[in-house]
Amino acid sequence: MLTEQSQLVAQVFCEVMEKLAFMFGEPADKQRSAPPESAYIQTKMTYTGQTSGMLALTVPASLCPQIAANVLGIDPDDDRAVASSLDALKEVLNVTCGHVLTALAGETPVFDLSVPGTSTLDAGQWTDLLERPDTVALSVDDNVVLLQFAHGRQA
Amino acid sequence: MSLTVLIVDDSATVRAVIAKTLHLAEVPVAHSYEAANGKEALDILAEHDVDLLFSDINMPVMNGVEMIEQMSTRGLLERIRVVVVSTEGSSTRIEQLKSKGVSAYLRKPVTPETIRKVVHHIMGAQKC
Repeated sequence: MLTEQSQLVAQVFCEVMEKLAFMFGEPADKQRSAPPESAYIQTKMTYTGQTSGMLALTVPASLCPQIAANVLGIDPDDDRAVASSLDALKEVLNVTCGHVLTALAGETPVFDLSVPGTSTLDAGQWTDLLERPDTVALSVDDNVVLLQFAHGRQA
Repeated sequence: MSLTVLIVDDSATVRAVIAKTLHLAEVPVAHSYEAANGKEALDILAEHDVDLLFSDINMPVMNGVEMIEQMSTRGLLERIRVVVVSTEGSSTRIEQLKSKGVSAYLRKPVTPETIRKVVHHIMGAQKC
């Protein structure tokens, strides 16, 4: 059962994925989200303002070139899609974060957003992340992605 | 008449998307320069004439606000139109940027329609 805040974050992420990467997402069942891959990419950013917090997006490594290709409007096999994989993922997170903050706090407060960073996670780390209560599982074009949102604190 | 454009964003992907969106919007671009942060942008502006600048806010080395303040100090905003393209939706931030001389603010993700409308509005019909 998603909390109201988790539902909002998931909804905003799905809207951003649809507009930016032409990919469609929907909530996924955490219990049925066993890690199918050995490597995952996580991009993470923080924000400060009237409230501080953190937003992280974790996706299967194999999904990254597809996201980049869709953002750039090129073929997934194009070398540029592979080269832009991390960059495109960070941009998806960046846009999601901005829209989540507006949805939560309105248009008056000013937040300073950090530049997103990336790291690699293995299947064990992915499972640990999945089990956290502040993590939402979503299915994007049949791939399970995880969104972790810590509003009011920095994880 | 065609425009000389400078696209400033730390993401090469975003720079490519903005360039492509300008093309799809049929904005007449004669020359296009790119910079990964405000400092690189100021270096390009010192060497080249630019009509229209698209810039992100959150960038390493020198962010968009600092760059715009430097452009104002150097008198560059009198001849260069600046469009901020950012994920931030704070009306307070937008008003702050406009008070510093920014011509328009676009929220990511941008579409060809919104870019076309903004460019026509701030550059006038004679250039587009």
